[in-house]
Amino acid sequence: MNRVITSFNTFFLIVLFLSLIFSIFSLPKLNIDEEQSIRVNFYELIQDDNQLFNSSIPDIGIKKETKNLSSNNKEQKVVETAIISKFKINKIDIKNEISKIKLSKEREDILRVSAIIQERISSVWIKPNSLSESLIAKVLINLAPSGEILDFDLIEPSSNNFFNESILTAMNKMTFFEEVLSLDRKLFEKNFRNFNLVFKSSGEIE
Amino acid sequence: MIRFFLLSIMLVSNSIFSILEIEILKGSDNLSKIAFVPFGIEDGVEEDYGEQISQNIEKNMLLFGEFENLDKNEMLSYPSSEDDFFYRDWKVLGVDYSVIGRVNSVNALGNLNISYSLFNINRRIKILEGEIVGGEDNIEDISKIISNRIYEQITGLRGIFDTKLAYVINSDVDTYQICISDIDGKNEQILFTSKSPIMSPDWSPDRKKIAYVSFENGLAEIFIQDLKSGDRDSIQALGMTNSAPVWSPDGKSLALVVSFSGNPDIFLYSISNKRLIRLTNHYGIDTEPSWSPDSKKIIFTSDRSGSPQLYEINTKSKRKKRLTRDGNYNARGRYFPDGKSIFFVHGNDGNFQIAIKKLSSRYIETLTSTSLDESPTISPNGNIIIYATKDGSNGYLGGITLDGKARFSLPVKNGSVREPAWSPLIN
Amino acid sequence: MRRLFMEPIGIFILAMLCQVYSCASNVSDSVERIQYASVAGEEYLQGDKLDTNLDDKVYFDFDKSTLDAEDKNLLEQYLPAIKKAKIVRLEGHCDERGTREYNLALGERRALEVRDFLVVKGVSGKKIRVVSFGEEKPLKSASNEKAWAENRRVEISLY
Repeated sequence: MNRVITSFNTFFLIVLFLSLIFSIFSLPKLNIDEEQSIRVNFYELIQDDNQLFNSSIPDIGIKKETKNLSSNNKEQKVVETAIISKFKINKIDIKNEISKIKLSKEREDILRVSAIIQERISSVWIKPNSLSESLIAKVLINLAPSGEILDFDLIEPSSNNFFNESILTAMNKMTFFEEVLSLDRKLFEKNFRNFNLVFKSSGEIE
Repeated sequence: MIRFFLLSIMLVSNSIFSILEIEILKGSDNLSKIAFVPFGIEDGVEEDYGEQISQNIEKNMLLFGEFENLDKNEMLSYPSSEDDFFYRDWKVLGVDYSVIGRVNSVNALGNLNISYSLFNINRRIKILEGEIVGGEDNIEDISKIISNRIYEQITGLRGIFDTKLAYVINSDVDTYQICISDIDGKNEQILFTSKSPIMSPDWSPDRKKIAYVSFENGLAEIFIQDLKSGDRDSIQALGMTNSAPVWSPDGKSLALVVSFSGNPDIFLYSISNKRLIRLTNHYGIDTEPSWSPDSKKIIFTSDRSGSPQLYEINTKSKRKKRLTRDGNYNARGRYFPDGKSIFFVHGNDGNFQIAIKKLSSRYIETLTSTSLDESPTISPNGNIIIYATKDGSNGYLGGITLDGKARFSLPVKNGSVREPAWSPLIN
Repeated sequence: MRRLFMEPIGIFILAMLCQVYSCASNVSDSVERIQYASVAGEEYLQGDKLDTNLDDKVYFDFDKSTLDAEDKNLLEQYLPAIKKAKIVRLEGHCDERGTREYNLALGERRALEVRDFLVVKGVSGKKIRVVSFGEEKPLKSASNEKAWAENRRVEISLY
């Protein structure tokens, strides 16, 4: 009987001890000092800006700000500059959007031809059964403007030789992608002169 | 479909360094087409052999519906050596692979030297070349060896044409037989005939013995039968019902079900010292054990949740894990040879079908479409499942490849066939 | 002081008791098995089956082993004959749906359910023999609801 009681006591002691430890660990999370929280906010703000404008557009101002931020202290100033730069970038962004609309027709063409190429390869690729392995292999294709396949190369073979062989066999069945003839020449040169096919083993099951 | 395209086409054309990438996930539904050219023969060899061997190979390769063949009459030529072989002749016929060969006689005792080659027509390369010496009366075995090598070269999987199948036949109301045959149904051999039911055949890993359940003494009792001598041994386990024996991968013990006073649980039975070790202990039904390939875990069916579901238990730590949750009937699970997936009987709206599940995934995929499918057994290379199903009151064996491309049924026997068990490979 | 000394001895005695108990239960299991084997072997085949003029089957729902009111009613009618009989044989069966080994266990469950009912009603458990054939011995070989319902049964025979 005594033993039972003492074991209960120990049990409660352990529970008490554990809860103490947990409470200690969770303390810092609850108590974030003011400076830290502000800093976090700024960081997010600048990150948002970064996403707004295209990465191809350089912006020295923002980079400076981030540096400032890491060196810290002048929080007030950072807020102002960040807002200003956000405004500037929005202008550029609008321009960018307009050019994007122009691009959208090209995108549509690329998507359409890609889908046809994808389907044509799928129809000749006899995929080996590899339920357990997830394999990826990459083939670089070199096309002539006529759509003729000038050359192809397994640039990133998978670890499974039979998977690679099945891809090479499928590629050997293809001679022409005449669909590219419908494309604007500039578009062809930019996208379909050289392109990659990425073969993946998993995907049918799951 | 639209989602599929959106997902699988990745366009990263904005940046200068990136290049258009098109993702290919789906393979073709077509099968590879193989031309089995009649083998050439040397003077002095009986004409028959050349054609016999290529026909045997053709029959083997087509057994599970994994390939298509080219009719002999459509062939433009019958080359028997590489010098006479022209890729163009086969490309125009849409052939993917060609098998050619030649039979030479070695000596007057009837020994033959058979050489063979396999060509990948699309890649225009020879991918296999071999030679076998054997007797005239071993033509079938020689054909199986060649078929295995061709199969391995094309698929990358182990050839299974020399494996066997065990099954139970119920030929009339009270005649039950346990039989084994070659995987193509030839050379059937009856191991035991009884007036009472026979159940659950399972091969020992060395292919020399079969364990099964027989009711010959009025209750379920486990026997181990030696295939060579025909000797039968009863396992004298305790309890009123002994059932569902399965060999451990090392062949030293069996997992089985013993029901002490009506409560079936999973036990391990050591064959050498005849000791029984309890694995599960639950008032629900625990049955249908099967070993994982690494022999660390055992999958089993239990109705502890209210309906039959699959669980796995670690044989050392006895830790249990529930494997299935979808539907109210998931039973008789078995592991794939790689141990990463399981296959089992899945009950769905009153239909019982064979299903598979990756252990890492939540989803169940149903493979078959008939309504009374059971007792699935997998080929040792993990590519084909044979299962028992019913047509009216007659049971027969059906099969399916795991890519879902091919379905087939095994030759009909006189009687209701059930509980197929695929033998292991001989190493 | 004395209690401290006595404690380990008490534990030891308890452990020994457990050992003895588990041994005893093992022994009873093996005895039980021999009984069943003998039933299965000759006893019931050679003995004369008693004719009761009653329906000798109790039916069940799919994947269930519980008795409904109708079944209990039938068993009640049986009781006088059962009490007179030397041996009561209960044979559990299932329909063809579901897996064979699971059904073997389920058939056993059904037969045991009937046994438990009879024992509660005062039949001596010693004369009851239980065996399951799972889905191996269907009454009707057709694959439809009617045949399945007839196959999910426990057959009672008296000797």
